[in-house]
Amino acid sequence: MKARRVKGLDCDGRLDDNARRIVKVRLDELRSFAPKALNPTEVETLHDMRIAAKRLRYVLEITSPALGSAAEEGAQAAKELQDLLGKIHDCDVMTPRVRAHVKLLRLEDAEYLRRGAQGAEDLSPRAARAAPNRMRYRGLEALHAYLSARRAVLFERFVTHWEGLEASGFAADLEARLRNSGEPTPAAPVAAGTP
Amino acid sequence: MAKAAPIPGLEADTLFGAAAAAAVEVRVGEVFAHSEGILDVSDIERVHAMRVATRRLRAALEVFGACFPKKEHRRVLGEVKALADALGERRDPDVAIEELEKVGRKLAKADAAGVASLVAVHRAEQARGNEVLSAALDSAAEARLADRLMALAESARAVDVEAAEDEVAS
Repeated sequence: MKARRVKGLDCDGRLDDNARRIVKVRLDELRSFAPKALNPTEVETLHDMRIAAKRLRYVLEITSPALGSAAEEGAQAAKELQDLLGKIHDCDVMTPRVRAHVKLLRLEDAEYLRRGAQGAEDLSPRAARAAPNRMRYRGLEALHAYLSARRAVLFERFVTHWEGLEASGFAADLEARLRNSGEPTPAAPVAAGTP
Repeated sequence: MAKAAPIPGLEADTLFGAAAAAAVEVRVGEVFAHSEGILDVSDIERVHAMRVATRRLRAALEVFGACFPKKEHRRVLGEVKALADALGERRDPDVAIEELEKVGRKLAKADAAGVASLVAVHRAEQARGNEVLSAALDSAAEARLADRLMALAESARAVDVEAAEDEVAS
C-alpha cells in the first residue's frame, strides 16, 4: 500500500510543525480502513491497516523527542494495533499454506499408490495403508483448525480494541495533545515583591 | 527486539532538515551494526533486529523525504527496500518455523509428524532466503549503500545551513 502524500512539509520549518502535519495524514489514513476492516473477510484491508498503523507508529516514534509524551503514548497504541493485526495476518498467511501443503501430500500419496498399482485392474483400499504421508494429515488438520479458530479469536479482539479506540476519540485526542506539545512552557508567575 | 536508538539533539524547534540528517545517520548506523553473523540460522534474532532497523531507516527516509535530493533519495530508498525484502525472505520462514514448532509442541504427539513436515518445507525456504539475503548484503556493500545514505543525510543538513546563512544575511 502506497502511503498518502503529506503536503506542505517545510525543511526549513520546525520539526514539531512538520511532524504534526505528517501525523494527521497518517492518522486519517489509518482510520480510513476502519469500516471495511471490521469485516473478517477483508484480508487485504486488514493488511493495509496494519501497514498504516506501522507508518503512524514510526513517525510518532521518530518525532517523540519533539512532540513529547503524547507521541510516545500514540506510538505505543499504534504498536499494539500493529501487533494485533500482525497476528491476524500471520494466520491469514499460514492457513492457506497448510491447505496447500496437505494438497501436495495428497497428490504425492496418490501418485505413490498409482505407481504401486501399475498393471492392476483395480486398487485395493489396503494399499492406502502404505501411503507415505498417511501419518501427517491428522496433525495438519489439527493445525488448520487451530489457526482458523485463533484467527477468529484475534479478529474479535481487534474489533473490540478498535471500537474502544474510536469510542475514546483517540485520534482527536492525540491531535489535540500534539497541538499543545512543543510550545514554549509559559513563564511561571512572578511573585509580588520579587525583583 | 532492540529498542530504537535515541536521536541526539532533536527538539521541537529543530529544523526539519537537521532532524532529517540526524535521524537518517542514527538509523543507518543501526542497520549495519546488525549485519555480523546474520546468515547464522541458529540465532534468528539477528535477522529480526536488522530487519526492524531497516524498517526504521525506511521510515526515517519516508518521513523526512522532502528534505533530500529527489533522485538520490528515490534510488537509495529503493536499495534499502531491496535489502528489507531480502531480510524478509529469511525472516518469514524464521517466524513460521518458530511458530510451527511452538504449536507442534503443544499438539498431541500423534499430530507432530504433520506439523514437522510443514516445518521441513519452511527450512528449505529459510535456506533459499539465506542465499537471497547473502546476495543482497553483497550488493549493498558493493554499491556502498551505507556511505551513500550518510552522504544523503548530510545533504539534508546542507539545506538548513543555507537557510541559516540566508537568515544571518537578512
